[in-house]
Amino acid sequence: MNEQYYQKLNETIYSSQLENGLLVQVLPKTGFHKTYAILTVDFGSIDRSFIPAGKEDIYTVPNGVAHFLEHKMFEKEDHDAFDLFGQLGADSNAFTSFTQTSYLFSATDHIHENLDVLLNFVQDPYFSAQTVQKEKGIIGQEIKMYDDDPNWRLYFGLLGNLYPQDPMHIDIAGSVESIEKITAEDLYTTYRTFYQPSNMNLFVVGNVDAQDTLKWIEQNQAAKKFEPATDPKSELVLNDETGKDVIPFRTLEMDVSRPKVMVGVRGLDPVETGRTGLKYRLAVELLLDILFDDTSDNYLRLYNNETIDDSFSYNFEMQRGFHFAYFSSDTNQPERFSDEIIAILEGAKQQIEAATSQFDNIKRAMLGRMISLLDSPEAIANHYSGKLFGGANLLDEITTLATIKIDDLYQIEKDFIQSQGISVYQVVPKRN
Amino acid sequence: MDFKLTDGVDLHVISTPQFKTNQILINFSTQQSKKNITARSLLADLLETSTHKYPTQTALARQMSSLFGAYVGTNVTRMGNLHTLRVRASFVNDQYAVAGLTDQIIDLLHEMIFHPLIDNDSFDEPTFTLQRNNLQSSIKALADDKQFYAGMQLRDLYFKDGSLLKIPSFGQLSDLPKLSAESLVTTYRDMVVNDRINIVVLGNVDEQHIAEEFSQFEFQPRSASFGPLFYQQTPIIEPKRKQQTQKLNQAKLNLAYQLPIYYQEKDYYASLVMNGILGGSPLSKLFVNVREKASLAYYASSQHNAFNGLFSIQTGIQSENRKQVERLIQDQVTAVMQGEFDSELLQEVKDGIVNQYETGLDISSNIVEQVLLDKITQSRTDTQILVQEIKAVTASDVVHVANQLRLQAVYYLNGDLN
Repeated sequence: MNEQYYQKLNETIYSSQLENGLLVQVLPKTGFHKTYAILTVDFGSIDRSFIPAGKEDIYTVPNGVAHFLEHKMFEKEDHDAFDLFGQLGADSNAFTSFTQTSYLFSATDHIHENLDVLLNFVQDPYFSAQTVQKEKGIIGQEIKMYDDDPNWRLYFGLLGNLYPQDPMHIDIAGSVESIEKITAEDLYTTYRTFYQPSNMNLFVVGNVDAQDTLKWIEQNQAAKKFEPATDPKSELVLNDETGKDVIPFRTLEMDVSRPKVMVGVRGLDPVETGRTGLKYRLAVELLLDILFDDTSDNYLRLYNNETIDDSFSYNFEMQRGFHFAYFSSDTNQPERFSDEIIAILEGAKQQIEAATSQFDNIKRAMLGRMISLLDSPEAIANHYSGKLFGGANLLDEITTLATIKIDDLYQIEKDFIQSQGISVYQVVPKRN
Repeated sequence: MDFKLTDGVDLHVISTPQFKTNQILINFSTQQSKKNITARSLLADLLETSTHKYPTQTALARQMSSLFGAYVGTNVTRMGNLHTLRVRASFVNDQYAVAGLTDQIIDLLHEMIFHPLIDNDSFDEPTFTLQRNNLQSSIKALADDKQFYAGMQLRDLYFKDGSLLKIPSFGQLSDLPKLSAESLVTTYRDMVVNDRINIVVLGNVDEQHIAEEFSQFEFQPRSASFGPLFYQQTPIIEPKRKQQTQKLNQAKLNLAYQLPIYYQEKDYYASLVMNGILGGSPLSKLFVNVREKASLAYYASSQHNAFNGLFSIQTGIQSENRKQVERLIQDQVTAVMQGEFDSELLQEVKDGIVNQYETGLDISSNIVEQVLLDKITQSRTDTQILVQEIKAVTASDVVHVANQLRLQAVYYLNGDLN
């Protein structure tokens, strides 16, 4: 068991890779009542084409399988995992992203038993034609709920512009049509390929003793038999890595009170994984704060001329195999919004120069916000991105942030912001 | 520790080493009226935009940024018949930032409360106009969120004509043209002079020192006594029904019941358990029967507002299933009324409520909220009391509570895209 103490932040994290390959990390929080545990599989919605475990040929599953699998893991032949957690007084949930699927619980008591329930239900699949069929109605309603959400449509509309031929533009849950095709066999094949202990990690934060917790998890795993680990490969091959397929502009009419617009920047630069990748991500976030956060002159100008309002937001997402930034606002001047945002992005070098005096402040603010996250067991555990950032946790992120200098931003700006990768998507009120 | 700063102004400080951040909540409460709800909502926006010392939002944002990314902001909400405006700060503890950070935050709060951007008895005119436009846009945009929209329509249908609770806590569009940069000064002064004020501070702080800092705030004594906190209305016999149609993929069916059980009053804890059994958890009747078994919805849940007595149920469905879903919902309500739930579910729901309360003690803003609630309702909540009270709830208590449900309104938002 490895133990790492972060003196400045006064936190200790314990980690261990079990014999079957499962990576376990424990961060005890003194004074806390709850324990939060999250078991993550390195497998998400974009992993739709892969070589099944023990096979040689590529297999492609219908869109939405990762999310469907997440729903169906809870239901067993004669019970439901929700009920087992319920009997132990725990709250449980799960979620699927582009590249990960996570199962979690939070509880104040019976932590050993709850950990067993978590590991057992995720490591014991049961799918039948009947239970798969039943889930289609529920997920169908989930998809339709999101179809009526203009912000969701805006986001996936933009992704459809940035990655028109790649799986990132497809709703994580798939479509009503695609989930109709999903079979129990698809779920088993996918499960066997990706749900191997060596492709998972378990993060436990809260009112626990690290030694005991590790011992419980080791005992649970030692009592089970697993197939020999294979290295599940689902390399994302982009349709066009130069980004010539980016669609510059599209618009959608919906029943909204006023236009919503989103500008996106697809990163066309290859980015290393590991700590270099982490530093890249943090530097882009600092860059975006310098250009657009509410301490910037740009923000005040756009706010005062009513190009943006309090709905303005921006974000940078970096996941396995792709990265992009987006900026959005409700606005009565959607063209002006996108013109202004693009002009700021394309003049980023001058913008950094002009905002040099703000850099330390902006970095300090980001540092403060990250330290605040240490009060949340969920935030600590959910921040972990596994192999993508070389096993860095939130504490490592805080340490890495301190090493970034303003000079790093100039290089990042040049690599990341390329006109070829810029696109605009609008959701506008229906014309009568 | 509690401190009385002056009549009607109380400070509550909770010193704990559990968190790396500190929280400050300054709560202004008053009796809501037809005139003050929208005005106070806009006032909240103005107070967090600028001050005399920081006359633009950029200047104010830069100050917060330099204070280690502190969040300092305002919002409005309501508790029964009270309207509350809150000024809230959340920031890193001195130990992880710099010595004196908490004091600097308190200075900033003082500046925001006592030195807003008012000159010659008027808020800064351009700021006022911009914030009024923004509030108007954001109220209009709420209708884009159909789940929220259906909930608002249901409330409007449930509350009687002329009831102040028909007006959302964030205000209504029709009031906005009546407000001016001058009228909001009156609203502001009325709030600072007459509102009841509760300040809650939580974090790794010295209680006496915090009390000294806040004793420098120039609050004058006030009587701050209000009418009843809880809202009540006479139930009607025949439920009101309303239906609208929009171009949507999913229809929304929402039901409103009256449940005249109030915070910390008789049957309160039993009402928490009843809600958990009916629709307040993934173990509940609605979740299991409408979603899991019948596969008719992704969400099907209930909640109870213990300050106004509104108990609501919401679902998102296919329009052709409307009748079936409504019947199924009513069946679940009837089942709970008739005690058709096993002792296992009862126990699990009770454990879940205790678990939820205890996990809430790990979220500093939650503790602050609970302290405020206790002070305003003059009650006391702690784990021991809660566990005892929840434990004591029996199946017949749940049945007794469920039998007080009176269906009052059904709102249906039809989606016609399918």
